Amino acid sequence: MLLIDGADAPYWNGLADGALMLPRCEACGTWLWPASDRCGSCGSIQVAWIERAMTGTIFSWTRTWHRFGFTEALDLPFVSIVATVDDCDIRLLGRLDDPDQLDPQIGEAISGRIGSTRVENRDIPTIIWSRNA
Amino acid sequence: MTPLYGSTAVAGIGVRQYKRGTSPLPERGVLTQAVIDACADAGFDPADVDGFVSYGDDHNEPVRLMSDLGTRELKWSSMVWGGGGGGIAGAFGLAAAAIISGQASAVIVFRALVEGSSGRLSAAVMAHHLNDHMLAAGIVAPAQVCAIRANRMYEHHGVSRAVAEELVRASYYHGSRNPDAVAYGRELDLDAMRNSRWIAEPFRLFDCSRENDGAGAFLMVSAERARDLKKPPVYLLGCANGAEKGWGDLLENDDEALYPTAGFRPIARRLYADTGLSPADIDVVQLYENFSAQGVASLIDHGFCTYENVAEVIRFDNLIAPTGKLPANTGGGNFAQGFIHGIGTAIEAVKQLRGESANPVPDAKIGLLAGGPGAPTVSSAIFGNIVP
Repeated sequence: MLLIDGADAPYWNGLADGALMLPRCEACGTWLWPASDRCGSCGSIQVAWIERAMTGTIFSWTRTWHRFGFTEALDLPFVSIVATVDDCDIRLLGRLDDPDQLDPQIGEAISGRIGSTRVENRDIPTIIWSRNA
Repeated sequence: MTPLYGSTAVAGIGVRQYKRGTSPLPERGVLTQAVIDACADAGFDPADVDGFVSYGDDHNEPVRLMSDLGTRELKWSSMVWGGGGGGIAGAFGLAAAAIISGQASAVIVFRALVEGSSGRLSAAVMAHHLNDHMLAAGIVAPAQVCAIRANRMYEHHGVSRAVAEELVRASYYHGSRNPDAVAYGRELDLDAMRNSRWIAEPFRLFDCSRENDGAGAFLMVSAERARDLKKPPVYLLGCANGAEKGWGDLLENDDEALYPTAGFRPIARRLYADTGLSPADIDVVQLYENFSAQGVASLIDHGFCTYENVAEVIRFDNLIAPTGKLPANTGGGNFAQGFIHGIGTAIEAVKQLRGESANPVPDAKIGLLAGGPGAPTVSSAIFGNIVP
């Protein structure tokens, strides 16, 4: 699982450089996620990587209390979310700051910053989302 | 009707189940015993089995079973793709395909799971799916993936969380009355269930299936041949496996309307169209419930209820045999009978139609096996002790 491997390599490289880059079909404008090498809608293989702001809304969430393997670096409990990114049709998996353990609300506006998640001996770039003040 | 309709049958079943970590034999040894049991149940020489089908990344390649079973010739050896339990019902369709097309004549459908041999199932399922997007979000277990979907179903689609408890209670009720179940002889303590520890919200411990060691095996042959064997045939009437556009392994980017479902909408459509049956014809349901909410979603997908009337249908009284109108998980299900990657739900589907269930549904003729919900590829099957 090399970060720079696969169709989503520009996403990981973008986060490493401080930007959220997401793929869109150049021919028909369809957002392609999971990242792919061919647009299933129109058949084009021209994929453009576009920068999006790290703003969005909560699509759904869970708060994890059980210590599952690979989560050793995260304090329990922690909140994982599916975030709908503004101005594109892509949803991303991420984590949400949860200082007061207030249950997230679906549709709630959020903003992200780039952090990382330690898994075994790797630091994976991660968007950490917070509720908008 | 498709060629699948009533042309093959389950002729024998075998199952060995143990508490997790306590199997007396390694995985292949337990599987061999289950296969021998299934053949003995049918009065069939195990050496004449010529095909094998499994699902869920089972580790036991059929060719390696040949020595122990005395297999004369292996003619069919295949697996339904997918790391979870989504393929369990599809495995019966694959076995039937081999038999109908003449590529094999006696096919064992099986699943074996022994922790000492293959490790924890939950870890194996996730190894199939894990990627850096999930690891970065701390999403590393099936419970979490299903929890996120469940919250969407509860909060956005208005399904009451209380219905999940009804389903859990029904499974434990049946399990407590089934001598082969892990929950046998023990009444469910409602307070303990409601106050059990959080795993991943909205799931507490009792919303989750728990793993067992063991193996299950089914001997499938043509319907004609099954009628000459020891046990009454349980006919495969229909089977559907797959995924529709907008559902699958999509990093949570499934179609918004499909997202909180269990993935069975196209499966149910095909299953009912292919068999000419409808939810009203189903006498009993064996529901693969990895997690409570996914069991609820599966019943909705299969047409037994809707987001609007789910609380009227998924009621404890309605789900229990012999009096409920929608008896479900009459052996105890994955929650309370035991969990060898769902194989016990298929065993109970057959037992119920033979009249061998510990919680018999009076005059049951048609049963639905709803496979592992929420998996990228899912499957379901309809069995009958008649071919209507």
